[in-house]
Amino acid sequence: MTRRQKAIAFFVALCVLLVAATVSLNIGWVIANAGRITPIIFGVVLFALIIAGLIVYTVFLVLEIKRNEEHDSFINAVTHELKTPIASIRLYLETLQSREVSDARRREFYDIMLADADRLHHTVDQVLKAGVVRERQKAGVRGPVDVAALTDECVGLAILRHHLNSGAIELDAPRDRALTVNGDAEELRTVVTNLLDNAVKYSGSSVHVTVSVAAPAPDTVWVRVQDRGIGIPRKQLKRIFNRFYRVQARGLRNIKGTGLGLYIVRSIARAHGGRVFAQSEGEGRGATFTLELPRLITQ
Amino acid sequence: MTRILIVEDEQHIADGLRFNLEAEGYEAVVARDGEQALELLLKERTAFEVVVLDVMLPGKDGFTVAAELRAAGQFVPILMLTARGRPEDVLRGFESGADDYLPKPFELAILMARLRGLQRRRRWNERDVEVPESTPETYSFEGRTLDFGAMEVRAHGKSYRLTQMECDLLKYLVRNAGQAVSRGTILEDVWGLHESTDTRAIDNFIVRLRRYLEDRPASPKILLTVRGVGYKFVSQEALKSS
Repeated sequence: MTRRQKAIAFFVALCVLLVAATVSLNIGWVIANAGRITPIIFGVVLFALIIAGLIVYTVFLVLEIKRNEEHDSFINAVTHELKTPIASIRLYLETLQSREVSDARRREFYDIMLADADRLHHTVDQVLKAGVVRERQKAGVRGPVDVAALTDECVGLAILRHHLNSGAIELDAPRDRALTVNGDAEELRTVVTNLLDNAVKYSGSSVHVTVSVAAPAPDTVWVRVQDRGIGIPRKQLKRIFNRFYRVQARGLRNIKGTGLGLYIVRSIARAHGGRVFAQSEGEGRGATFTLELPRLITQ
Repeated sequence: MTRILIVEDEQHIADGLRFNLEAEGYEAVVARDGEQALELLLKERTAFEVVVLDVMLPGKDGFTVAAELRAAGQFVPILMLTARGRPEDVLRGFESGADDYLPKPFELAILMARLRGLQRRRRWNERDVEVPESTPETYSFEGRTLDFGAMEVRAHGKSYRLTQMECDLLKYLVRNAGQAVSRGTILEDVWGLHESTDTRAIDNFIVRLRRYLEDRPASPKILLTVRGVGYKFVSQEALKSS
């Protein structure tokens, strides 16, 4: 049992004890005032208020302790995500500086350092974006954005960045009509990229991702990212969008992240008047993320 | 060849460490997680001189791995190499059984120096275990008795207390009786000091030891100076035959 779990157990026990004490006091009050309606009603209402207060207080306390825990694990994750690539780049630079390295090895080292610089950049970006979307409730500069074209572009970039075969991510988008939304192209690109990155990250070694852009209703646009990866336990489907929250399940111990990606996705979706939701048949059975945005109808 | 185990799940860092260790002439083995490391060290009983252990590993973290190794009686030197550099992390590392702790990002030269330090300590420990066999507790010659257990020299009814450093030095000289011992060896192997320490410090020690061992300290017969090298303890046998 960790220190936090102990604290939670203590406060819950304290709450139960206090509620029990209040209830017995209440019963005593009722017995003492038997036959007198006004004091009984008055007493019962006050006792009920005290009990409700106790429970609300405890619930908030426990939630706060849990949030603290998530925050701690976030700090650890970000520390790791920032320091590891720096350590790696440093290590290779020092190696190049102090040792005889063959040309082939040298080029390999440059590639490794570039990949680490990208990783570092990605982490810094996520943290900064999370800060921005938290402060701003409305999307930034808005304009008509063709979601199909934007998604196509993101898919191409994801394939490049993750060194995938061109067939690993399939895109299914209508070619005959534009699916346009009113939004900030940069932010929407972040949303689609984050969803794609997750799909690849949680797919393991065999990546099969299907992306579809569609209009399920005349006034809505969907971007749906479906993977055949490790899936999400049903109970966590909603919580994964919370800040710092990371899926807890066996088999994904190797996957590193800050717990910010989906939080950013949800914040941007909401700022655009849309929403995002996740579906999964459970662990090991893939996951589907759907971004729903209001469609911009042009005459 | 010295074999070093790298327990690291970050491919880039593991590869970079391996490249450098191999360039220094070590044999480096990489384990990608804690279970694999425990498997190698406890089940297969592969011998490693040092283990470089990351903390944030998939599955069992580095703290757990270190603690399990120690609980199982595996006392290979462990250097923890981790992004977690807060004081409480460092403390936890040592509590779980690490011998050294280096936060990432690290300097390559410092990592290498620390690895060498751990190996050196390991070799000393091994030698300390041999000492009771090779050096007797007491050593007598010409009416003098060196008592390493009581840390004193008895000579003609007088006794001189030895400090730990004097005792270690004397023990080492006696064990290598008849052979010249360099000042550098005395500093590094006997006292564990860095070789660049001022070697004149040794000369003062030798002057003191001569007062305990020699009839006439100014013209030594037992603890001789070997010019350009260091010192030599002339053994009892050598004295008899001369």
